[in-house]
Amino acid sequence: MSRLRTIAPAAGLILILSGCSPQASPSPSAEAAASGEPTSAPPAESAAPATAGPQGDKFKGINVNILTFNGPQVAEPLQRRAPDWEQLTGGHVNVVAVGFQTIYDKALLDASTGTNAFDAYVFDPQWLGDFTGPGYLLDITDRVKSDAQLEWDDIGPFFRDFNATYNGKVYTIPLDGDFHMVYYRSDLLDKDGVAPPKTWDDYVAVAQKYHGQDLNGDGEPDYGSCIAKKKGAQSYWWIISVAAGLIQGKGTNDGAFFDTSNMNPLFGPNDAMTKALQMYKKTTEFGPPDELNMDVGGTRGLFTTGRCALTMDWGDIGTLTPGTYAQDKTGATITPGWTEVLDRSTGKLVACDATTCPDAVDGVNYAPFASFGGWSGAINAAAPKEQQDAVYDFLSYMSSPAISGLDVTLGKTGYNPYRTSHFSNLQPWIDAGLSEAAATNYLGAIQASLQNKNMVLDMRIPQTKRYQQDVLDTALAQYLAGELDEAGAEQAIAAGWNQVTDEVGRDQQLAAYVASLGVQR
Amino acid sequence: MAAVGAWRSEGAARWLFIWPTVLFVLFLSLFPLIASVVISFSRLSFHQGGVDLVFVGFNNYEQELFGLERSHFLGVLNPPGPIGWLVLGLTIALTAIAWTRAVRRGRVGAFGLALRLIGGILLIAWVWILVQALTSEGGRPGALIVTFIFVFVGIALQYTLGLGLALLASQRVPGRRFFRVTFLIPLTITPVGVGYMFLMLTDTSKGPLEPIWVALGLRDFTWVTDPWLARAAVIIGDTWAWTPFVFIVLLAAIEGLDHEIHEAALTDGASHWQSFRHIIFPAILPVSTTIVLIRLIEGFKIVDMPNILLGGGPGTATQSLTLQAWIDWNTLNLGRSAAVAYLLLILVTVVATVYISFVRRRATEYA
Amino acid sequence: MRNPFRRRDATDLSPPAKFGAFMLLVAWSMVVLFPIYWLFVTSFKTPYQVDKGPFYVPFVDFTPTLDAWEYILVELGNDTLRPYLNTVIVGLASTTIALAMGSLTAYALVRFVYRPKVALIGAFILSVVVALAVAAFGGPLAVGVAGGVALFVIAAQTVGRRARWTLANSDIAFWLISQRILPPIAVAIPMYVLFQQVGLLDSIVALIIVYVATNLPIVVWLMREYFASLPRELEESAAVDGASAFRIVRSIVLPISVPGLVATFLIVLIFAWNEFLIALVLTSADAQTMPLQVAAQNATRGPQWWAMSVLILIMIAPVIVMALALERYITKGLLVGALKG
Repeated sequence: MSRLRTIAPAAGLILILSGCSPQASPSPSAEAAASGEPTSAPPAESAAPATAGPQGDKFKGINVNILTFNGPQVAEPLQRRAPDWEQLTGGHVNVVAVGFQTIYDKALLDASTGTNAFDAYVFDPQWLGDFTGPGYLLDITDRVKSDAQLEWDDIGPFFRDFNATYNGKVYTIPLDGDFHMVYYRSDLLDKDGVAPPKTWDDYVAVAQKYHGQDLNGDGEPDYGSCIAKKKGAQSYWWIISVAAGLIQGKGTNDGAFFDTSNMNPLFGPNDAMTKALQMYKKTTEFGPPDELNMDVGGTRGLFTTGRCALTMDWGDIGTLTPGTYAQDKTGATITPGWTEVLDRSTGKLVACDATTCPDAVDGVNYAPFASFGGWSGAINAAAPKEQQDAVYDFLSYMSSPAISGLDVTLGKTGYNPYRTSHFSNLQPWIDAGLSEAAATNYLGAIQASLQNKNMVLDMRIPQTKRYQQDVLDTALAQYLAGELDEAGAEQAIAAGWNQVTDEVGRDQQLAAYVASLGVQR
Repeated sequence: MAAVGAWRSEGAARWLFIWPTVLFVLFLSLFPLIASVVISFSRLSFHQGGVDLVFVGFNNYEQELFGLERSHFLGVLNPPGPIGWLVLGLTIALTAIAWTRAVRRGRVGAFGLALRLIGGILLIAWVWILVQALTSEGGRPGALIVTFIFVFVGIALQYTLGLGLALLASQRVPGRRFFRVTFLIPLTITPVGVGYMFLMLTDTSKGPLEPIWVALGLRDFTWVTDPWLARAAVIIGDTWAWTPFVFIVLLAAIEGLDHEIHEAALTDGASHWQSFRHIIFPAILPVSTTIVLIRLIEGFKIVDMPNILLGGGPGTATQSLTLQAWIDWNTLNLGRSAAVAYLLLILVTVVATVYISFVRRRATEYA
Repeated sequence: MRNPFRRRDATDLSPPAKFGAFMLLVAWSMVVLFPIYWLFVTSFKTPYQVDKGPFYVPFVDFTPTLDAWEYILVELGNDTLRPYLNTVIVGLASTTIALAMGSLTAYALVRFVYRPKVALIGAFILSVVVALAVAAFGGPLAVGVAGGVALFVIAAQTVGRRARWTLANSDIAFWLISQRILPPIAVAIPMYVLFQQVGLLDSIVALIIVYVATNLPIVVWLMREYFASLPRELEESAAVDGASAFRIVRSIVLPISVPGLVATFLIVLIFAWNEFLIALVLTSADAQTMPLQVAAQNATRGPQWWAMSVLILIMIAPVIVMALALERYITKGLLVGALKG
């Protein structure tokens, strides 16, 4: 009993002491002292790289809240550079980082209930469909065009047109460029005179060749191909990379998910999907035994420790190899394609020629998939104007060529290249630990993907999450586990997608889909 | 448990002890309850200008029981195999016998008989679904059945282990205090953390058990592709985490028993086992039933272990009801998520009521 | 040195049996402690070391590093301290309140007799629903509340007076525990809206309120078992001497119940300490708790085992310390003299 009597006041004391408020902005002198400068130094002496200079107190006294992903990637560069920006402008940035699964829910709850605790979201541009309809995001078209700091035209045209623009208006500032590539063990393939895979048949052949051999000298047999296939861990993107080359042949506007005339799911009962599913399942034969439960962290770990000959990933592997077994042994290539493509009217596959695949290279139809799009910053339309101006400036600062040029070379940021200027200067990459050959190869692969006219845009219509994370992910996992065969999986995907389409409204979705594929210059 | 007369007139205490709790819980549960029921009858719709709730009636429930989600919720139901027919036949026979016996005994009123009849029919329907999913060619259990398996196998293991450990830890062995505190540790870890921990442990390439697999020649073996092994993994993780709960409560119960009778029996020549069976176990039966009830209710909500270990996979083999609701919730399919949750509520309420009426009442009488 | 497994008296186990019991206990301890050891070891590894395969002993198998610890405790600094403090405060406060309220209720359910009328309860709920409906359709809250109260009063006077159907203590208890049946996910968003309306989003107070409400049923059920087994004689004689119920509870019942109270305290504290979903939905920046930090270590690019291990270890440390300190009370029993009950 006496113990209880002492707990209560102790609890009360803790309550009082918990005035530890993280929102309190550090005093300017403390800030300057931390960066090692005299407290009275004018902003011009700040250690931050020079940008088109705003005044030191342009946003003085303003506190902006940004919601993003607690990676530490993605949030890390925002948190790291916030003090620099504060030095330049006087505005304070508060980065609220939450788990990946919940960014969407929190952002939507925040906006739809009118709470508006956040001034900006650094999130997935796929969600533009759900956020722009109800008008939750600020239209920044005019701002970006006239922003000298941002250098809008330096951003790769693909990301400008497809990630940031929706329905003709610009809503986000890209901070990162995402799409898939295949990585291979360049030391092994060069030694054996094997060319990097151009088609998925090549991929499987290479995987088969190296599966079971010891690839990293530790005496244990290793794997030919490592692809993350875990359910509920965003693995559904990889099947899109496999299937895209079979489904989309006529350029980005062709789209890879739905028929642009009637919104019929292309991921459904047709020969392309069957072939893609079979190929996807085949890669499992040459992978680690628990590949079905591996997420990207696992496959990345396997590749960097030298246990995979091939893997598919975003741009991260390039920047993660320094310091690992795979350093300077890694090559990157554009995602393999196919020599056939789907005839949408018949549902059958036809050979690739000048009409069916105008962008094919040597008869192979490549369709690099800009999976996820790339973390981008969007501004809350309901935030007060000063907040909007301030957070816009911060996002523009983060995206500016000089700042982003450094961040994309660091694996810890999770940001991958997306600006033309990111490719032209090799020095930051070499500083980050890549050899010149590796950096050239890596950037070359990215550029090849970016410049490909048949690049596949990720889904960006309302309820994208349901289409992908619910229907596609479940059906795919069931297929891989043997619960469904190809026909069953295709039917499940098509039926599920049609249900969502009909719930939202078929005409509405069709218009949104077509608009999301359109190009606005 | 008749009231003690002297206190019945103590008005202030009577109300003050109970009303704050009741009101507190009532107010905090009423609005969310009503709101979520409304949500389960509607659908979120995004449009120009905002987000709305659109009323759709029973559509969400229909999807789960008859529509697109049926194979995820109930499972794939095919004609049962011979064993299935046998089990079904037995169930029907036993239920019929039990009911006619109740009628003949005449001790139960008409209302009670009607309830029992409905209960019997529900039981037979449940077994019918079970055999269709589990014993048929190409049949597959859905989230409903998978959750049941998790709960009942899990509780059986947790109770047995918890009781055994409590009995052992109440003996006068060296290091008792160490064991008691140590055994509590799994309960102190947040369920999400336990999930990730088991993910680490069961990783066949970099988990600590890898040398054992290799030594046993199981290098290429994996449990993640087999549905039953995957379910077993979930149950093992769940048991590891929750046995301490049973252990602590039962240990306290055993420690608190009056040992005179137990000692007298032993001195008279009874074995430890006999003393346990006739003296200790009946004494802790009331607590046991409470603990099992609490674990039953909590167990049906299992979500973190299957989600983190396997994402509900392989396929949908470990997808529990709450996990299904979670997947729907995460893609903002709030209506369907709430529908699954309410189907779960109905199910568990029935189970809990049956449990309390039949098991708990008998147990407390027996004690 | 005397044999630690010796038989201490006639009713004790034989030495071989004791040894067997001891070995079984040791076996389970290893099952419990090995994963914890693995967490401990993982927290000293670099990402590359974790990926390369299992290494078991620091300095022997691999070179340990303090990177993960430094990252969590120093680099993240306040971002770790703030959720930690929140967890401690919310846990202790909600558990204490729930224990205080719930124990009294448990006592009342065991010693007093309640006969709530079904009709009255129905009328009450109906009134609340009416009030809510009025508010939902945009009417002023005052009108809604007034309407609800009026409806209830009228109903109570008329229908309530006549109705005979009553409930019993056990029904109240069942209603309480049935609050725990619905998975929190169903009520997550309504909770969000509820607390947003009263302006308590992202606050410790909101979490405390919710945890008290969700854990009260557990307190009531556990303490009910305990109180039911207490011998009545003490309380009865005190009542005969003229003591009020408050007095009896305070000076007689509570002192004997310290063991039960402490055991329940520990269990409920663990529940509140580790709760994830409601904290996830109701908090964003200020009131985040530790379980969210643990879950957030799952990046899109794979779980960060090293940082997660650190977080889990620092999370369970205080609870284990508390368990160590309070363990002796647990042994005295949740139920004293159950045989006599």
